Amino acid sequence: MSTMTAGPAESTLAAADFDTLAGGLTEPEAIAGARAAAWERFTALPWPTKKSEEWRYTDLTKVGFGALTPVVPAPATAEALPADVREVLGRSGERAGVVVLREGRVAHLELEPEVARSGVVLCSIRDAAERHPEVLRRALLEAQPGPAEEKLWALHLALLGGGYFLHVPRGVEMPAPIHAFHFVERAGTVSSTHSFVSGESGARVAVIDEFLSDDLEAETVSLHGATITGEGGAGIEYVALQRFGRGVKRFSTQHVAAGRDSRIVTFNVTLGGDLSRADVTSRLDGPGSSSEMLALWFGDSDQHFDHHTLQHHAAPHAHSDLLFKGALTDAGSSVFRGLIRVDKGAQLTDAYQTNRNLLLSEGSHASALPNLEIEADDVRCSHGATIGQVEDGQLFYLMSRGLTRRQAERLLVFGFFDEVLGRLPMEGVRARVREAIEEKIGL
Amino acid sequence: MSEPLLSIRGLRAKVEGEDGEILRGVDLDLERGEVHALMGPNGSGKSTLAKVIAGHPAYEVTAGEILFEGEDVLELEPDERSRAGIFLAFQYPAEIPGVSIANFLRTAVNSRLDEGEEMDVFGFQRTLTEKMEMLKMDPGFATRYVNDGFSGGEKKRNEILQMAVLRPALGVLDETDSGLDIDALKVVARGVNRLSEADEALGVLLITHYKRILNYIQPDVVHVMMAGRIAESGGASLADKLEAEGYDWLQQPATV
Repeated sequence: MSTMTAGPAESTLAAADFDTLAGGLTEPEAIAGARAAAWERFTALPWPTKKSEEWRYTDLTKVGFGALTPVVPAPATAEALPADVREVLGRSGERAGVVVLREGRVAHLELEPEVARSGVVLCSIRDAAERHPEVLRRALLEAQPGPAEEKLWALHLALLGGGYFLHVPRGVEMPAPIHAFHFVERAGTVSSTHSFVSGESGARVAVIDEFLSDDLEAETVSLHGATITGEGGAGIEYVALQRFGRGVKRFSTQHVAAGRDSRIVTFNVTLGGDLSRADVTSRLDGPGSSSEMLALWFGDSDQHFDHHTLQHHAAPHAHSDLLFKGALTDAGSSVFRGLIRVDKGAQLTDAYQTNRNLLLSEGSHASALPNLEIEADDVRCSHGATIGQVEDGQLFYLMSRGLTRRQAERLLVFGFFDEVLGRLPMEGVRARVREAIEEKIGL
Repeated sequence: MSEPLLSIRGLRAKVEGEDGEILRGVDLDLERGEVHALMGPNGSGKSTLAKVIAGHPAYEVTAGEILFEGEDVLELEPDERSRAGIFLAFQYPAEIPGVSIANFLRTAVNSRLDEGEEMDVFGFQRTLTEKMEMLKMDPGFATRYVNDGFSGGEKKRNEILQMAVLRPALGVLDETDSGLDIDALKVVARGVNRLSEADEALGVLLITHYKRILNYIQPDVVHVMMAGRIAESGGASLADKLEAEGYDWLQQPATV
């Protein structure tokens, strides 16, 4: 339930801004139209407040949307890639393609020629709007956010000036992941980016979406949306690796639609930024479909991470399994709020939901709110959540081998995370995620 | 250097927050290169002594001192004692799911390096492989999670592996022989002997219930612990006498 209040944003995120933005762009009509409609929707909707369950632990009124400059960046020039991106690309690891986006706008894109020849499409969303308007339209229509996410989703679409589009045709199995970098460099702005991933029947694809910035002096907001669609028997592995610098507040809304016998894995890794919110919805549309929803986070300082999930079983005989694990230290805080919803017709559903939290400091705080809403009568569902600390016996054992308390705690966090990492199917993807986590946690 | 490797003086300790001392005035000197066996009945305080030497936070030292290479270690944290050269082979090693032995040991070796000093990754791998061969361990062992789902014998072997890699000056082996069949016992004993051969200054305090392991590891000194104190010390023959006659012939030490 959202309550009507005047958020801070309306005052300055004004229609004039939007018109200026839109006027400065040459974009396909489909996109221009969709953005204008989204802007209207955004201005009409109230800001969600802490009175709503979905936003109880994350206060949007504390985000200074009003002071931010909305950015739909102009078409990219051939600037050099950010050093951080070059550094990651310089390391070994196979890739089928690379996309670099600045404030959402595609600045660099490459796809292995052999992969391109197999019919795989990797392009900006604006190009896709001209070349594959139907695929795009269907996917965006499918991604209907719940009432609590609507306001930010509308802003996301209104400001969307780019994002990438990845489409894998029937039966094509990609040998290596696509690696996308969403780079934010302009402090004091709000920008929007999108990941569009679709696989036709029998397609196999893995994607790493990496979100990054330097530490930014002024408050900066990054909006992200993902639409992930798998048709019959498709296999999709999607990783969102959030390692923004400080100063960034990030809101990501991810929609998965799993068709018949498809197998979709989403993995959210949250490490950076001041505030990070992810709303992840998996809709099991086809019988026999499977959705694995994974997440890891490590929060320190005063970082606040908020994860909302929905496992929506719309079809019978489908399987969903959620495992979210987070560790916090200093004054870090996190929220997990998850719902398994089983529709009346979704008999023989198998749905699981587990959230585990490890607190390393007195000042850290985790909230866990798992939930079930089941209308079918022949289902197997379970949910559970724990909040705990490291065991003294383990700590002493590690310290007796010379590890400092900090090293011992951090190694125990790795151990705690390993179960989730082990569930990423592709080794190259796993290696990159592990590396990023090691960098954040340090040892 | 004339001071003993380990010198314990009048050591008294109890479980933190409880009454009743478990150690009631322990005196013990262990010279470099010596192997001491510490025997005694259940509940005499042998394992408590081992944990107190390693700095277990559950115990509170109420009197006395532990000098290691002449330095008082009682104020040191467990990790500082480890880096100084004290190693405890646990009677009941902790299980650490999700952390591989290789990763764990790499971190432990790293913790011994000075600021800015780079670890020799290949050298580490070579050492690990070599020590595992010495202990007749399968190469795949290094990738297993620390003690997770290990048999009793595997856990004990893993303790000696860690000692072999970390190369302490003093090894305190807390009932490393218990729960081992004769073959595993021989492997572990040979491992300890090889470490002694490789480092002539290595001191070993071997805590055990049974004489069995002393057939394979020759002690220089045997101590008997009774009611929180060393009641008797002697040569290797003391262990034979204990095996033949039990502990009853020893006088309970008078409480001071």
